[in-house]
Amino acid sequence: MDFKSLLKKEFVSLDGAMGTMLQARGLKPGEAPELLNTENPKILTEIHKEYIEAGADIIYANTFGANRYKLKGSGYSAEEIIKAGVKNAKKACEGTDTLTALDIGPIGQLLEPTGSLTFEEAYDIYKEEILAGGDCDIIVLETMTDLYELKAAVLAAKENSDKPVICTMTFEKNMRTFTGCCISSMALTLQGLGVDAIGINCSLGPRELYPVAKELCRWTNIPVAVKPNAGLPDPVTDAYNITAREFAELMEKLVPLGVKLFGGCCGTTPEFIRETNKALKGKKYVNIPHSIPAACCTPAKTVIIDRPRIIGERINPTGKKRFKEALLAGDTDYILGQAIEQVKGGADILDINVGLPGIDEKEMMIKAVKAVQGIADVPLQLDSTVPEVLEGALRIYNGKAVVNSVNGEEKSLQTVLPLVKKYGAAVVGLCLDENGIPKTAEGRFNIARKILDRALAIGIRKEDVYIDCLTLTVSAEQEAAGETLNALERVKKELGLKTVLGVSNISFGLPDRIRINSVFLTMALTKGLDLPIINPNAESMVSAVRAYNVLAGHDLNSAKYIAAYGQGGVSAETKADAQKGDTDLSYALENGLKSDGARITSELLKTSDPMTVINDILIPALDKTGSEFEKGKIFLPQLILTASAAQSCFEVIKDFYAQRGEKSVSKGKIILATVKGDIHDIGKNIVRVLLENYGYEVIDLGKDVDCMRVVSCATENNVHLIGLSALMTTTLASMENTVRLLHEHNVDCKVMVGGAVLTPEYARQIGADYYARDAKESCDIAKKVFEEFYPQG
Amino acid sequence: MNDSLEIKEINLREAFRYMGYKGGEINQGILDLTDQCEKALLKAIKPRMVYRVFDIMNTHEGVEVKNTPLIFRGKDIKAHLENCGRAILMCVTLSAEADRLIRSYEAESMEKAFITDTLASAAVEQACEKAEEIIKKQVGDYSYTWRFSPGYGDFPLEVQKDFLNVTEAAKRIGLNITDSLILIPRKSVTAVMGISEEPIPPKRRGCICCNMRDKCQYRKDGNHCGF
Repeated sequence: MDFKSLLKKEFVSLDGAMGTMLQARGLKPGEAPELLNTENPKILTEIHKEYIEAGADIIYANTFGANRYKLKGSGYSAEEIIKAGVKNAKKACEGTDTLTALDIGPIGQLLEPTGSLTFEEAYDIYKEEILAGGDCDIIVLETMTDLYELKAAVLAAKENSDKPVICTMTFEKNMRTFTGCCISSMALTLQGLGVDAIGINCSLGPRELYPVAKELCRWTNIPVAVKPNAGLPDPVTDAYNITAREFAELMEKLVPLGVKLFGGCCGTTPEFIRETNKALKGKKYVNIPHSIPAACCTPAKTVIIDRPRIIGERINPTGKKRFKEALLAGDTDYILGQAIEQVKGGADILDINVGLPGIDEKEMMIKAVKAVQGIADVPLQLDSTVPEVLEGALRIYNGKAVVNSVNGEEKSLQTVLPLVKKYGAAVVGLCLDENGIPKTAEGRFNIARKILDRALAIGIRKEDVYIDCLTLTVSAEQEAAGETLNALERVKKELGLKTVLGVSNISFGLPDRIRINSVFLTMALTKGLDLPIINPNAESMVSAVRAYNVLAGHDLNSAKYIAAYGQGGVSAETKADAQKGDTDLSYALENGLKSDGARITSELLKTSDPMTVINDILIPALDKTGSEFEKGKIFLPQLILTASAAQSCFEVIKDFYAQRGEKSVSKGKIILATVKGDIHDIGKNIVRVLLENYGYEVIDLGKDVDCMRVVSCATENNVHLIGLSALMTTTLASMENTVRLLHEHNVDCKVMVGGAVLTPEYARQIGADYYARDAKESCDIAKKVFEEFYPQG
Repeated sequence: MNDSLEIKEINLREAFRYMGYKGGEINQGILDLTDQCEKALLKAIKPRMVYRVFDIMNTHEGVEVKNTPLIFRGKDIKAHLENCGRAILMCVTLSAEADRLIRSYEAESMEKAFITDTLASAAVEQACEKAEEIIKKQVGDYSYTWRFSPGYGDFPLEVQKDFLNVTEAAKRIGLNITDSLILIPRKSVTAVMGISEEPIPPKRRGCICCNMRDKCQYRKDGNHCGF
């Protein structure tokens, strides 16, 4: 018997709880059940047998928490415990058709950016488990709440084993997991990754899980598994609140939804499985084919392409000096700023392109994707011409991405499409091939058809192919606009595919380009454009899409349009800025008016030298707020408010220098880091904003920073001032370590330390040169250090 | 049981205190931002709790939590649980949504991030208050001590890992811990409440059992908030 033949049965019976059974036999709460695999194998084989007798077709080996991280200090390796666990289950299955599943649960550490475990580390931990459980028949990944962690596990399973994979996640009543993952995103992502069955387990009873199962069945065409708890637990007695009979009755109600695999989680026993099998007897599996719409997603948000959706084009260095500078400096903050601005402007999806000569594109792409997906809840379109870059990004992308792009060239089809298939993405197909861009609509249509055929041939869904008929410059070739639109219309109507178009290129070489762009966009929308790639900060472009959605009947009751342009749609900041039309820079800074600050700075730069603006206006304003803060006249939020407004002014000045190809002046380089083990870094980030305002160049190493990394960064970049922060008593040791290593390696630098739990005495004791009480004091220390010790910066 | 932890408004007095506010006029811009952040935070968070009740026993090693591997060491927790035959182990979290919101604000504007961070600190205290009310109602009419958390006094933080295992906090409310004993999601609290059949004499709380004691500006200045 294998999983495939098992699926020919009407229903597949999974087992019930293991922990519950072990606790009934004396396991205490908080003890690791997996250790019994070697310490008391007999008891496990007995429990497995009870489930087999109750009718389970698949039993889960007792390996749920048997990972390197959880077993640390237990005296056993993950391999030992897993091998023993699978062996016990296999032994129980002897002489039956029952299959053994390697059961894998969450690692027990949250992944970045919420936690500190990297995606790559998670993959590695799972890989070890998969390899150790090689003797199993099936791999089960269950009780997952983080789609990202689950993706690491699925990749580890698929790349290190050929066994079928079942994934089940744990949802709450609000139809989301603890980390906010929604059902549609789970289904789209996992089905894309090619798992063999998906489902839900744990958290609630079968009654509460009914709506969750219903929604899941709607989003998938692969077998669905449901393994609920025996109701809800009592906090005093820890007993679950429904009987085996009730459980079975409720499970039976899941049949019409299309559920195929039935089992139990916490609180269930062989009796629950037996009763469920009894209730299912004679029932027919309901196979409802669902049409899954074209969509891409993050864990928390699914973007269905059922109306025009805006793809933001700004994260792309082409023609942007300031962006190139940021990329060369590895400055992801700049990219994050661009991401936030576009999402606020109305982008539904963000294109990410970091291709620039002189940088490691793959490394930068991975860094950018990780950073952006950590802060912006919109799906990403991964944009590169290099397959390795695409693969690097697809691997670590959290959700279902869009790949930009494949084209009709043989080499492109052969390298890009397999990546799209493997990682379950959607793909943009460009209508060009070895011979360039066909002049006619017919030619482009034919390439689109070729791309579609090739995608279908390797198992990519039709819904996941988006065609770009390519915009040419109308000033060079006036009939080209018509050809593009005709091709788009045919691709949409005849091939039934979603269409995508970079719009702005149309107006190249013409004055007042936005007028041409917005009309061309409107024309394309009426021809059926689904995914305009535009600048979401250009209001007339976004409003064209919003207005189109009203007129085409997509925006029900014009709700989104009204939300954007009605009274409620103006943000507090714009309101505040608007109140004071003709304010001066000091006023803007004091009141934290960022856009006013930036606007006035650009005005000033027309007549004044940047250094004059910095020294005569910005710094004095900052000094004034700083001294008011010291005197207790204002409190920290006001100080940060001014600093942020100043930052927007400095951004304008940086841009001014970049346009002229000059370097901004730096008063000195400073490294900031939150020490190893510590992930509370908001204080450090506030310090950074202030230091940058005073003209220092800050190399921010982030949080959880390895002690040696600080040393090597200081040496490589010749940095003479290092700021370290720690917020927990448990991480002060890392701070001490870092300071010690700096001294041992004779790094010519001063060290300032700060953070909630620090005291001046402790700072002295660990060999730091300065204790910074707050962000303002860090600036005073920097000033002193560079004036007294390192006047060269 | 988690629905009822919902917070309708955040205790702004507390939040401003965490921001280092010591009186005087607050800039209108800050008030507007605080309002904006409060709304966003309340919309984002999904406060959750889990608790278990255990018999406890004093041994020479410390307070033993029966039927678990947990032993609470230190004189402060021992004094706290004096005359209690049972204890409640509780965990409360604002959920990862709070972390996510603060993180995305950090990329957008540091003042919003900072304000939201302090609002969240105030909110998790409020969630604990609510959790305590719910627990007392569910467990019954006894005398209870106040909430005492690992890290207070000499009650070691090292107990956190087993504490989370015993309460199944990862599975039930999504609460995890790092190797350096940081709770994640960050705005989370674990605490012990003693249950006694006899009335418990009131004790002065002081800074020892305040979650803000490390960051408190009053304390840094050598003062006390008066609580």
